[in-house]
Amino acid sequence: MRAARIERVKRRVLQEAVAENLDVIRGVPPRALRPAYRLARIWLRRAPYLLVPLVIVAWLGRNAETPAILPVQAAIASPLFRATAPEKVPPSLERVTSAAFPLAVRRVVLDAGHGGSDPGATAASVTEKAITLDIGHRLRVLLEREGFEVLTTRADDRTIALRDRARMANDSNSDIFVSIHVNAIVKHTASRGIETYYLGPTNDPSLTQLAAAENSVSGYSLGDMRKLLDGVYADARRDESHQLATIVQRELYTSLRASDTGLENWGVKRAPFIVLVATDMPAVLAEVGCLSNEKEAAMLRSPEYRQKIAGALFDGIRAYASANDGPKTKGSPNHG
Amino acid sequence: MAEILHVGIDLGTSRSAISASNGERFVVDSFVGWPLDMVAKKVLKRDVLIGHEAVSNRTMLDLHRPLERGLLKEGSEKDVEAVRELLKHLLRLVGVNGKIDASNVRAVVGVPAAALRTNKQYLRNSMKGIVDSLLIVSEPFAVAYGLDALLHTMIIDIGAGTTDFCVMKGRYPTEEDQRTLTIAGDSIDTQLLKLIEERYPQANVTVYMVREWKEKHSFVGESPAPVIVTAPVKGVPTELDITNEMRTACETVLAPITETMIDLLARVEPEFQERVRTNIILSGGGGLIRGLSDGLENALKGVGGGKVRYMEDPVFIGSDGGLALAIDAPEGDWEKLTA
Repeated sequence: MRAARIERVKRRVLQEAVAENLDVIRGVPPRALRPAYRLARIWLRRAPYLLVPLVIVAWLGRNAETPAILPVQAAIASPLFRATAPEKVPPSLERVTSAAFPLAVRRVVLDAGHGGSDPGATAASVTEKAITLDIGHRLRVLLEREGFEVLTTRADDRTIALRDRARMANDSNSDIFVSIHVNAIVKHTASRGIETYYLGPTNDPSLTQLAAAENSVSGYSLGDMRKLLDGVYADARRDESHQLATIVQRELYTSLRASDTGLENWGVKRAPFIVLVATDMPAVLAEVGCLSNEKEAAMLRSPEYRQKIAGALFDGIRAYASANDGPKTKGSPNHG
Repeated sequence: MAEILHVGIDLGTSRSAISASNGERFVVDSFVGWPLDMVAKKVLKRDVLIGHEAVSNRTMLDLHRPLERGLLKEGSEKDVEAVRELLKHLLRLVGVNGKIDASNVRAVVGVPAAALRTNKQYLRNSMKGIVDSLLIVSEPFAVAYGLDALLHTMIIDIGAGTTDFCVMKGRYPTEEDQRTLTIAGDSIDTQLLKLIEERYPQANVTVYMVREWKEKHSFVGESPAPVIVTAPVKGVPTELDITNEMRTACETVLAPITETMIDLLARVEPEFQERVRTNIILSGGGGLIRGLSDGLENALKGVGGGKVRYMEDPVFIGSDGGLALAIDAPEGDWEKLTA
C-alpha cells in the first residue's frame, strides 16, 4: 500500500516538475504569479468580507417590504445598470488614469532594507542593514508625529524574506510602501549619489544585475517579472509609484545636497525589485546614499546625517500625501 | 535504436557530481582553468584543465569557479564557457562522446532551491548541444526524490555556495516550501581564514588550505579532538592549533540554519508539523560538520523536539536523486524537454 502511494506521489511530483520546466521553456510565469491566479486568490481571500455584508443585507431585504438590494440578475437587467455599464467591458490591461482615484494616504509601510543574516552593503564597520533600520526608526517618529499610521516590515535586526515584507504590506492594507536602501558601487568608489526606483522594466544591464541581486532570495526571476509586469505596468499604481518616486527623489536630493555638494542626482529609475512587484500599493525603493564612497560612508555614520535623510524622506511622503489627499486630508503640514 | 543514457547531475559551487544509468558515478571540483599563456600551455599540454587538476595548477591558469552560490553567473562569457567545459567533462567521464552520443543523453540537473527562472533558462541555453533533453529541478527536491522522502520531510542541503531548505508535502515544492541561504560552506571558509589570520598573522594561509582543513576537521559544540594543522610561518612549516577558530567559524552557520528551519516548520500545516520535525534530513558536504545534527536537534527541543538525520554518501545523494528522476520521467516528457 505504502509503496503504491509513494509511486503515485512520485508520478505526480514528476509531472509537476516537467510542467514547471515547460513553463520556463515557454516563458510562462509560474502559476502563482499568473494574473488570473493572483486575482482568484485575492478574490478568495476577500470573499468573506464581501459575502458577510451581502448575506446580512439579503437577509434584511428578504424581511423588508422593499428589497434592500436587487438580486444580481435583476440588477443587471435594470435600466440603471444598463445606463451606467459600458457597452463593452474594456480589456483588463487597459491603462487607467490615476487621477480617477484621488486617494488619501493614511497608512505607510516602511521597509528597512536587508537585516539579520543579510547585512546588505558593508563598508568598514558600517552595514546597510543598520543604516536603513536607523533611518526607518527616525522616519517613523516623524510620520507618526504628523498623524500617519506607520507599519514597519522590521523593527530590529532580523532576517525577513522579501515576499514576507510584501505580504506584511499587503495584509496591512496600507496606502504606500517605502523601501529604504543604501547603494554600494564597488567599481566606482568615487561616485556617490541618490536614486529612487519604482516598478518598471529596465534595459540597463547594471540595473538588471542589481535587481537580480536584490531579488535573488525571493524565488522569482526577472523573466517572471517581465511577464507579470505586462499586466502590472498598465495599472494606475505605476503612475502613483512614479509620482511618489519623483517627489521622494526631489526631496532627498535637494535636502542632502546642502550637506554634500558633490552628491549626484542619479534620478528616478525603473527596476523590477521584488518588493515593488509584489506589493499592492504604490511603492518605491530609495537608495539614500552610497556606502562604497568613503566620504559618504563617513556621513552615513553620523546620526545627524541619518536624521536629515529621514527628514527628506518624510518631506517626500508628506508632499505626495498632500498631492493625493482627498477631502480627508492629514493634519498640520509642519514637522519637527 | 541507439542506447539512451540517463544522467543526474548535481552542479555545485564547490563540487559537481554525476550519476549515470550505465552505473558510472564521478565527482569533480567545480573549477575550470585555461593556461594563462603559451608557456603555461606548453607545460600543461592541455587547452583546459578541470577539477582538482585545475586547482593544483592554478598559478598557471586563468582559474574559474563558474557557479557562484550554485548558479551560473549571467553576463560572464568565461563562466558560461567554464560551465560548458565542466558539464562536457562530467559527461565524458560517464562515456558520452565515447561510446554514447550526446544526442542520446537525457539529463536532470539540480540547482539551488531559490534559483531564478532566468537562471534556469540561462543554464538550459548553456547546455544546448551538450545533451539531448534536460530537466532542471531544485537540488533538495532531487535529494528527496532519490530518498523517496516526498511527504512530511524537510531536506536541508548544505553546499558550498548555498544552504537549501525544502519541505516536501507530496507535491512539487513551490516557492513557499523552499528557502535558500547564501550562508554555507564558503562562508565558513571565509570566516575561518579571517580568524586564523587574526590569531596567526605571520602564517601564510590560503582559502584552498582552509577549505581542506574544514573538510577534515569541521565541528560545532564540543571538539572531538584538537585541530592541529600545518602552515608556513615565514616560510617554515609550523603546527597551528585552530580548534577554537574551527568551532567559531562552523558555528556561524548554526543560527541562520536553525532560524530558517524553524521558520519553515512553522509554516507547515499544524497537524503535520510534528511529522516533519521528526523527519529532517541533512545532505550536502556541510552536513558532515560534526555535531551539527545534534545542534539542530537541540534547537528543535524548544518547539517540541525533533529528529535530524544525516544521510550517508552525501557526495552523490543529489545526483542519484537526479538520475532517479531521469529514469522515471516518461518518454513523452523527454521529447518536450529538448535542450
